Amino acid sequence: MSPTLRTRFAISVGRAAARASQLAGRGEGMVVGGKITLKLAPRAIADLANGRVAALVSATNGKTSTTRLLANAVEQLGPVLTAQTGANMTSGVVTVLANGGEDTVAVLEVDEAYLPMVTADTNPRVILLGNLSRDQLDRMSEVAMTARKWRKMLAQHPEVIVVANADDPVVTYAAEQAPKVVWVAGGQVWTADSAVCPECGTLLTRDGASWHCTGCQRARPDPTWFLEWVDGVGAALAPDGKRYDLSGLLLPGRFNASNATMALAVCGQLGLNLPESVDRMCRVDAVSGRYAVVDVGAVRIRLLLAKNPAGWTELIDVMPPAPAPVIVTINSNSADGRDPSWLWDVPFERLRGRTVIATGDRRRDLAVRLLHADVDHVVIADPYAVGAPLPTATRNLDVIDNAATYTGFHALRTRAAREAGR
Amino acid sequence: MTESMIRIVSIYPTLLGTYGDGGNVLALRHRAHLHGLDVEIHDVTPGESVPTNADLYVIGGGEDTAQVAAANALRTDGGLAGAVDRGATLLAICAGYQLIGTEFPDAVGNPAPGVGIIDIRTDRLSQRAVGELVAQPARYAPSGVADFLTGYENHAGATHLGADAQPFAVVESGIGNGDGTEGAVAGHVIGSYLHGPCLARNPQIADQLLSWVTDRELTQIVEDDVVALRAERIDYVSRNS
Repeated sequence: MSPTLRTRFAISVGRAAARASQLAGRGEGMVVGGKITLKLAPRAIADLANGRVAALVSATNGKTSTTRLLANAVEQLGPVLTAQTGANMTSGVVTVLANGGEDTVAVLEVDEAYLPMVTADTNPRVILLGNLSRDQLDRMSEVAMTARKWRKMLAQHPEVIVVANADDPVVTYAAEQAPKVVWVAGGQVWTADSAVCPECGTLLTRDGASWHCTGCQRARPDPTWFLEWVDGVGAALAPDGKRYDLSGLLLPGRFNASNATMALAVCGQLGLNLPESVDRMCRVDAVSGRYAVVDVGAVRIRLLLAKNPAGWTELIDVMPPAPAPVIVTINSNSADGRDPSWLWDVPFERLRGRTVIATGDRRRDLAVRLLHADVDHVVIADPYAVGAPLPTATRNLDVIDNAATYTGFHALRTRAAREAGR
Repeated sequence: MTESMIRIVSIYPTLLGTYGDGGNVLALRHRAHLHGLDVEIHDVTPGESVPTNADLYVIGGGEDTAQVAAANALRTDGGLAGAVDRGATLLAICAGYQLIGTEFPDAVGNPAPGVGIIDIRTDRLSQRAVGELVAQPARYAPSGVADFLTGYENHAGATHLGADAQPFAVVESGIGNGDGTEGAVAGHVIGSYLHGPCLARNPQIADQLLSWVTDRELTQIVEDDVVALRAERIDYVSRNS
């Protein structure tokens, strides 16, 4: 069934606006175009989705990478529609759906706050719920509030299959009453946002990955899928006892092995060939610029996205060991969260023994945080400029890790692409 | 433990630490070391009794459910109120500030009982207060706190001070208590809506708390990184308000 005339008209107007925005040099124009389309045709997402959305992916951290891993696996069935840029609010979703064949299967990343709306409009077969932790608290609900909204959403959509991380008590609270849940032991390294039971507020009792509430007897559900992570190598254990080696993943770190395990559980629900799914996931290298090595000004950097304490806690593990210096870019634009006090929840003490080059709009907040962590640092507005006063060790490195918040990350990508094109 | 060791207790950081307020404890340790003072830090988790013999207690901000759980646990335990009665120093931020009063709104807006350590009562603002907060220490503020206070607020509470509590500061930009004042002071208790964290962005408050605990005046020490951050934030607010 082809979309209504209203929707098709709205898409054409949105596209024109996106092109204008692109020509004016204001980014890829997806958000602007999508917003205009939705204004003209508020039902456009439902109209375009039309039963072809295989999966929605949401989480505080890892949703872009998980979506890419899953979309690559689903491509074994043919072309897949998915966002190439991490556009994950309704404006991004409508643009993705409008830019492919009407019957093409879609795998979509969705912002945590927009998930209920997008679920209602798209009727996905599967929803993957990865993790919930503090992020952009000036914009987002507090964590427990988001979980309550997800819980309500799933009550309204009993037909959806939920693939959820049983190790995250907040995600569990959101998913536990859904009729069809596949529980994955995906791990949880950052536990500070799930210290108490989301229902009754009792401090949760933890024993390794297992957890339970002595107040209302809620407990970690029994997972059927498990992430195994030993000495930096991951494997996914399936319900039938089969073991899928994840050592071939090009995306680094425990968290990406967890993302792959959860994506593989979705593949199982979609009836895909699982060994082939893993092979396809292992071909994903850089996701929307994450882990890409690029030249910015006089410095060659590896781009890392680090936007909240939970993400940082795991990202430090993928950096080369001290004394290798690192660049850290902290901004506080809307998409970063206006309040960078989350820097105080990041275990920056683990960067001791190196020099941190602090940059970005909020480099001074970072400097004060590092001062309190006893981490050597320099504050430089543009460390990429020729002649920037970088520590000597930096000049000797072939490539230096640069962790950045969302808008800092995208500014670096854009600058690298522009300079490469010259 | 030496006689001069300052005993600091961080109250329920697992419950009340959503907005980086754990940084206040780091700032106290950092300032203490600059002044040549030794500190011992003890994190209290809910279910564990609050030590009554510490010098300085710190309590941070958190989500609604956690706030109610923390208030109930502290009321039942009684240790914190007892310590403050005996003259201990207390810094309470945001949700922690609200819960040391007589009542505050729970997750759905109904009044929940506080710990009753200071004479304040909190109900709901008509609109959530989110953004930079700059305030000028009020005449009731302790003598060591004179410079502008800077931080970030994110709360929905309108806090009303009773006769036994005094405003800590006067709002220059932001919402604070909701009536033009910010925070409260009563004896050696300071309550505030300032995150940032409060003590890292306002080291004079950290020094005031340490000065109360040690009962002596501390020398002024300024650090370039902190001076630069304070100047940047106050400049930002003055240009945007």
